[in-house]
Amino acid sequence: MKKLLRLPSLLKLALVFLTALVFQNCTQVEIKQTTDETLNITEYLRANQDYSMFLEILDITNYASFMNTYGTYTMFLPTNEAVKQYLKDVGANSLKDVPLADLQNIAKLHILDARINTTLFTDGKIATPTMYGQYLITGAANINGVSSITINKTANIVASNLELGNGVVHVIDKVLRVADKTLAQTIEADVNLSLFTEVLKATGWYDKLNQPLTYDASKIGSHLTVLAQTNDVFTKAGFNSLADLKARYSKSTDPMNPADSLNLFVQYHVVPQLNYLADLATTPVFVTKAPLEVISSKLIKDVIYLNRDVFNGILEEGVPILRAPSDVTTSNGVLHYVDGHFTIKKRLPSPVYFDVCDQPEFAANVANYRKSTGASFGIPPGGFADITWTGSKTYTLDWNNYGGAVNGDLIRATRFRTGSGGLNDIEYKTPVIIKGRYKIWVSYRAHASGSSNTKVFFNGEQTSRILNMKEFPNDPSVVATGIVDRVYESQGYKRHIFPFVKGDAMVSRLVGIVEVTTTGRHLIKFNTDAGTSSGSADADRIDLIEFRPVDIDQIWPKFKKGIKTGIKDPNGDANGDGLIQREEATKGDNSNSGY
Amino acid sequence: MQTKIKTILAIFVLFVSASSCDDYLDLRPQDGIVRDEFWKTKEDIQAAVIGIYSSLLNSPPGVDDFSMTQYLFMHGELRGGMVVEGVFATEDERDILETNVLPSNALTDWSIFYRTINYCNTVIDLAPAVKNEDPTLTQDQLNHFVSEALAIRAYMYFTLARTFKDVPLKLTATLSDKDNFQIPVSKQADVFAQVIKDLKLAEEYAVEDYGNNASNKGRITKYTINTMQADVYLWTESYQEALDATKKVINSGKYKLVESNNSATWFNTIYSNGNSSEGIFEFQYTSANTGPFYSIFFQRPQFKAYSLMMDEVYGYDVNDPIGRRDVRGNYASLFGATGEIIKFTRFDGGELKQLQDSNTHWFVYRYSDVLLMQAEALARLGQGKDAITIITDLRLKRWALDETDMSPGEGDTNGIIDFILAERAREFAFEGKRWYDVLRIARANNYERKQLLIDLAIATAPVDKQQSIIAKLKDPNSHYLPINTNELFTNKALVQNPFYK
Repeated sequence: MKKLLRLPSLLKLALVFLTALVFQNCTQVEIKQTTDETLNITEYLRANQDYSMFLEILDITNYASFMNTYGTYTMFLPTNEAVKQYLKDVGANSLKDVPLADLQNIAKLHILDARINTTLFTDGKIATPTMYGQYLITGAANINGVSSITINKTANIVASNLELGNGVVHVIDKVLRVADKTLAQTIEADVNLSLFTEVLKATGWYDKLNQPLTYDASKIGSHLTVLAQTNDVFTKAGFNSLADLKARYSKSTDPMNPADSLNLFVQYHVVPQLNYLADLATTPVFVTKAPLEVISSKLIKDVIYLNRDVFNGILEEGVPILRAPSDVTTSNGVLHYVDGHFTIKKRLPSPVYFDVCDQPEFAANVANYRKSTGASFGIPPGGFADITWTGSKTYTLDWNNYGGAVNGDLIRATRFRTGSGGLNDIEYKTPVIIKGRYKIWVSYRAHASGSSNTKVFFNGEQTSRILNMKEFPNDPSVVATGIVDRVYESQGYKRHIFPFVKGDAMVSRLVGIVEVTTTGRHLIKFNTDAGTSSGSADADRIDLIEFRPVDIDQIWPKFKKGIKTGIKDPNGDANGDGLIQREEATKGDNSNSGY
Repeated sequence: MQTKIKTILAIFVLFVSASSCDDYLDLRPQDGIVRDEFWKTKEDIQAAVIGIYSSLLNSPPGVDDFSMTQYLFMHGELRGGMVVEGVFATEDERDILETNVLPSNALTDWSIFYRTINYCNTVIDLAPAVKNEDPTLTQDQLNHFVSEALAIRAYMYFTLARTFKDVPLKLTATLSDKDNFQIPVSKQADVFAQVIKDLKLAEEYAVEDYGNNASNKGRITKYTINTMQADVYLWTESYQEALDATKKVINSGKYKLVESNNSATWFNTIYSNGNSSEGIFEFQYTSANTGPFYSIFFQRPQFKAYSLMMDEVYGYDVNDPIGRRDVRGNYASLFGATGEIIKFTRFDGGELKQLQDSNTHWFVYRYSDVLLMQAEALARLGQGKDAITIITDLRLKRWALDETDMSPGEGDTNGIIDFILAERAREFAFEGKRWYDVLRIARANNYERKQLLIDLAIATAPVDKQQSIIAKLKDPNSHYLPINTNELFTNKALVQNPFYK
């Protein structure tokens, strides 16, 4: 010790200093190990007392830890008041009294495995199903002047889009309930649907609508959509009882038989898959359970009409859907109410003259469309609701002013070719065609640089003949080579414009006979093999596609060329409808007396 | 020797410490002027006032935001149903077009308005003191400057209150970090009252004539203020006051509608060249300071005209679409064929202004606006006949088609108002007025015409969201944009619009 004291003062100082240093060094430096302090969903719930009861549900069901893992979830989070109300509704004192399975289902119904902000909400279902499997539907409602976004029509959103570490949370004021009734049970529970229920039972459909949901190999559910008619609707249509309906429809007296008309009536009110109103508003045609029968749907202003179609120029009013009670989710589908009696219509095949320029997107161009002075103009890919094609991302499909064609216009592809330097596989959605057997005639303006090998596909199946748009019409006025209409037809051609003008080069080609299996809109596609060399396929212009039932005249009526004026013309179009019947054609082509 | 060295050392230390207060340690910005060096002469005030106008044209350097013009266009048109998304529309723009607005939407940022408001406040607060420094500054000149600042501030608050409903009123300059930034919102009615008060004072101080046309159209005059008054009074439903205000403008005899037999001349006079006899207040873009239009309407189009504009707004003559047409429609506001909005980017006939020459003004007020506001006030005051006379005269000078003549009866107030609304759509297409026009008329008389907004939604909403949008629009709070999330973070005194929960 003495030795230590005898050390020089400098060394003593150093010793004291080092000793102090040893003690100082023991504090640990805090190193921040996270880059983000946003809470995950469960942590967020633990930090907020307002949601303690839903957290309890998650704890009881053991989903709490799961909701704290990384991922992209959406949670609809009921407030404590909402959960208390739920307990009251199910008659339980505390969450512990509720069966575990129920709580599990409830929890799963509130969680989606995708991040869905309110901006993605529509009037229908959220595209991602809940963990439970059922879809949630979104909407908005105005109560006493205050609007809120609603979930499943019952719960209002009180706080939305809370962004958390592993997803987004929307707070709701009611617990969402699992739809546990089937379609059949839901229909039966509504006294206004008692007659509809009777019909379902009489035709055996009650049991079919009572089946639990199943999924096929490709995970597509067996959901159904039912369009129900209330007793009032039946009464208005003159049906007061099941007997009335049987008397009217059940010709075979065995309504259980699927071929019986009453059974078909029910089949026609059932649509496969889950179709909420937003789906009905956006999809034009639905296949029904009745074989090959379809229902069309159309949104006009804010009303959805079923089967509101124009047939042969006559508007059929159709039946509107009752919005307020519709969109009822059930365990195996969705239920809607219609405000009118509707049935399968027996229709005979009738001709459809499809002017391919009848496109609303063209018509919006009012300055040019079907104006004699209108300039041709094009619309790029994605611009049409009813026409699609492959190939170039920028080339357009054009409205082409041409006085020689029906309605004074042709549709023209900017380079009808293969590859990205052209348009190919141009597919049109046709107007409604009634089911039956039809001949398809494609009318075009012939040109030396048209494509010579255009294949035509109807609903994806190739027709029997190939179009050669280099082929010019036969001129009947030349005595040596002229071919009369009937002979020309037998060869698969016709001159569809009357009177025929050689210089206009308009000709129609039979591309095949097709069986149209469902009444509705169909697809017709044009495909070419023409390559990229210039000049080979730059002038393909289609005027008209005719669907004529096989058993009617394929030549008459013909068409008047040019924009439809409605003016009566005693020398051809006597009634001004743009169509020229055989008897209206008082003179032959080229003003000769050829007929 | 020791003492000598010590003495020298002491003197040296003394010298250094005494001289250290010199200004080589005083740091002043080299690229700007600090406040106590500014506000010395009337030229300083003038520079500050011109700075306010400049902030309306384009944002100051270093601010990466849309320009004021673009905000005015978007707030006034996106929800008005006459504009649809172009190929380059942003997500935020699309959401507003679909009435699908979240507080996180960047377009709800209002900082650009408050920036200009602060420039105005600075002039209003600091300019009066310059009189003590600069004896050549007359009271009149000072008043003129203050009038300009007051009027622009009023227009900013007017726009904010029409867009966000309740907004914070900041009426003093923000000069240091010590200012209170935690200001709660004031009710929309209070904001309007403040606007009216400011405009009244501004009118007292106002300039009648700057002596040159560009200043008369590009700076605030007495008549600009009267026009703004008419607009505000229509919003507060004080129709007699609105009528009186429009009369002041009309009786001044300084403005008249541009008439021409040649559509190209007509268009070029009003739009391409600007500052026409019907211009009242225009943002003065020049080739050296171009507007945002070339980019947003042509080069990378964010906005297009609604496809049925020609059908439903202007009408067209099937047999003579070029010869017989509303001069304001095809080839003026838009290309009917493609839906391109051309009012701000082209000469008539469609010739495009080059990017570097894209100097078309933004038209805040034109004389036709005063006329139609007068017609609206007259109609509301039960003088339908006079209202119809004004509309008919305007329609004649704009070659309006008979097809769009709604010919309401003289006693049919709602019919006349509808007619005015339709005429305003034709007259001010894409000038940032449509949504405000529909909203003003819908909300008048305790939201008597709420259906107008719902009809607008039915016509233009995406079909799969239509029902939700209708339900949302039934809540008046949904007609206003939310306060941006960032503002809520920084200003705890703000309360969000209850619709945006």
